[in-house]
Amino acid sequence: MNPPPSSTYSTGSQPWAGLRVVERDGLCSSYATRLWAALGAEVVVLEPPGGHAYRHLSPFAPGTSEPEGSLWWAFLGQNKHSVVVEPGSAEEAAILAAADVVFDEPAAPLVPPAPAHERQVYVAITAFGLRGPRANWRGSDLVAWAAAGLSYVTGFPDRAPVALSCLNFASHVTAMQGIGAAMMALAARRQTGRGQLIDLSMQQANTALHPEIGVPLVLDDAVHRGRSGNRRAISRPFGLYPCTDGYAAIIVVQPAHWMNMAAWLVEVTGVEALGDPAFNDMAVRWEAAEFIDTMTEQLTSSRSKGELFIEGQRRNIPITPVNTVADLARDPQLEASGFWVNSDHPVIGPHRSPGAPFTGGQDWWRWGRAPLLGEHTNDVLARWTAPS
Amino acid sequence: MDQSTRPLEGLKVVELSIAIAAPSCGRSLAYFGADVMKIESLQYPDVVRLFGSAWARTPEYASVFTDTSPYLSEMNANKRSVGLNLKVAAAVQAAKKLIAQADVFLTNYSTPAVTDLGLDAATLRALNPRLIYAALPAFGSDPELPYYSFISWGPNQAPLVGLDAVTGFADQEPAGVASFAPPDYFAAMHGLVALLTALEEREHTGVGTSIDLSQFSTTVAALGPYLLDEQLSGTVVQRSGNRSAWYAPQGVYPSRGEDRWVALTVTDDRGWQALAAMLDRAGPAATGGDTGFAGDAALGSVAGRHTHHDRLDAALTAWTTQRSAAQAATELQAAGIAAYPLNDTEAMLVDPQLSEYQWYKAVPCFRFPNGDLVGGSALNLEDTPGHWHRAFPTLGEHTVECLATVAGLSDQEIADLIEQGAAFVPTEPDLKLKRPYEHVLGLLGLKGQRR
Repeated sequence: MNPPPSSTYSTGSQPWAGLRVVERDGLCSSYATRLWAALGAEVVVLEPPGGHAYRHLSPFAPGTSEPEGSLWWAFLGQNKHSVVVEPGSAEEAAILAAADVVFDEPAAPLVPPAPAHERQVYVAITAFGLRGPRANWRGSDLVAWAAAGLSYVTGFPDRAPVALSCLNFASHVTAMQGIGAAMMALAARRQTGRGQLIDLSMQQANTALHPEIGVPLVLDDAVHRGRSGNRRAISRPFGLYPCTDGYAAIIVVQPAHWMNMAAWLVEVTGVEALGDPAFNDMAVRWEAAEFIDTMTEQLTSSRSKGELFIEGQRRNIPITPVNTVADLARDPQLEASGFWVNSDHPVIGPHRSPGAPFTGGQDWWRWGRAPLLGEHTNDVLARWTAPS
Repeated sequence: MDQSTRPLEGLKVVELSIAIAAPSCGRSLAYFGADVMKIESLQYPDVVRLFGSAWARTPEYASVFTDTSPYLSEMNANKRSVGLNLKVAAAVQAAKKLIAQADVFLTNYSTPAVTDLGLDAATLRALNPRLIYAALPAFGSDPELPYYSFISWGPNQAPLVGLDAVTGFADQEPAGVASFAPPDYFAAMHGLVALLTALEEREHTGVGTSIDLSQFSTTVAALGPYLLDEQLSGTVVQRSGNRSAWYAPQGVYPSRGEDRWVALTVTDDRGWQALAAMLDRAGPAATGGDTGFAGDAALGSVAGRHTHHDRLDAALTAWTTQRSAAQAATELQAAGIAAYPLNDTEAMLVDPQLSEYQWYKAVPCFRFPNGDLVGGSALNLEDTPGHWHRAFPTLGEHTVECLATVAGLSDQEIADLIEQGAAFVPTEPDLKLKRPYEHVLGLLGLKGQRR
């Protein structure tokens, strides 16, 4: 039998140094384990011989292919260790037995997950949960949006509902809930000495995004929520407005913000009625939605999203541009805040990625590159499974 | 701690927050046992209190309107409300006494706003070196950054970080994510990770830390692979409806009934073979005149199915429109294909899986004696689960007890604060309310618990 993981993991200066985390194959763990690895945990990805699922997703770096060229993998694999073992092998069992935390995405039909030892925190991620009449139903990112009530209210009323389908966003939300739950279970372990099983479903993870259209709200006002296009049906201006080079988002809720907006609108349109104090009430502006929208579009349609952003903010109005990835790559705030981190990858070459999503202690974050398939198999097997 | 004790029992959190990002983060702490004390003001209430409820927009309810929004419990269940008017210096002193005893100060007020109040990180951490100061403003806390003074609401962030541009059909303006604000919740989830990391670090170092979380940077990272692609190849990812670059077919298809839909994804070739067999069995009458899917080599690969996606959509639409969404999803799942009806909000209440986990629960509430409805948490820790013991607090419900037992003020000091308008207690403590949907609450727990 392999030695259990050490009970303390304060050997390095990063907050999670010494913690052993195993990530198995699937789409719903990687986003969060990437953060954990950068915060000092040793994250081992147990890859099947063909490589982890994210290694097979496009886009690929120019001139490359799977398993090393996927930009999903280049991003989500950062700082991790890759171990390739045959599923069901003794090596796989030995690695699992040495882990403090396991992220597992068991496939239907489900067998009850079994932590390898008493101190292990085991995050079992499924589409719909480990129990219940639909526990064995299969999922996907799109299916999670459907089941969490998010798709139904996204899109235009005359077309099919849509989802954020190209981002795997529901999978990342699930991963973030998984790491929150695992850290919570480690807080409990500090006091009980014991690990535990966490039953995390994509459906529940994403239902957490639902309160603005949620059950308590709809029961309370008995108003059915449908799709309202790219403006929200509670006030105006509230949503996307066309401009010369795309769209800008204008979200005016507070009276003070409306008064600033109204002053700008009066300047541009000459329509003094917009200054009527009755419009300070967001409900009144919703009743006059068509009028407010027409006036707002007069303002936006002759300006760029950058102009609307900067001038709107100067006037203390919550306006932001509808950015594309090209806009974000050149965003001055991201540049100035040191958001980007550089890595060099043997197949992909030098590139920069989004770095720390938040700052904390001085030595919280360290960034490396994604591993090659099986790059750390021997090293991890030697270190994690050596007799103590 | 025995197994039934929640992991954060004993942790004291002072929250100065608005709307979703910080409240939603504090909600998770409170669910797992932390004592979350939310400082609230009568002059500048949380916008969630201002939303109120449609039925309460009458003079009869004017004095308790700020206790009627259904969002309140979703964001603030289990928390205590400490009524302090922070524009008065004595109230800030009282808040500091509270924070001196706390483990965590959590805020999403703008940095200039907390600095004006004297509740900035440097001041509070000098007061309490063990304090973890967590700031979750829209654009970070560094005054040197270009957007430092900028303002945004949750719904501004999804467009800003690039989510809206990729949501919708390619032939139409961006649909965006208009009805809810993913970056608010995503920031809250990152905030929880930051706080639990800081608590872990404090176990070893004995001192707190300062967390600075910009909602902007947090959610931009969700576009990671496409930001790399733009950098390396110049490709700008475009919106593509419900289609996927990796799976085909995938889509949202109309089913029987008004505005009813079913989502499906064929995640691999095995799934395709099962779907093809199912469509062939249904026959051309059920698939818009099309048939012969299983034997069609052109459909054997994801790339081939992409090429013929319009054909597959036509056949699937013909098939799904003859069924209810639930029937269609059940038949597809029986064949091993990922599918689900598009839940509208009403369906969420009776969803079989959410019901299995008792997602929506009636919880005791000061203002609603028959309870208020609170959604659950996805963080199902099997041995040390979280739970709700109280719905949202009324404004100032716990002012006296928090100032007395946590901040250590005397009865006289508290009375003086209230007298001078620095602190307040609930108005209309005896006015009790009923939700229009009380009959549902009975089915969801509170009345059941009392029997």
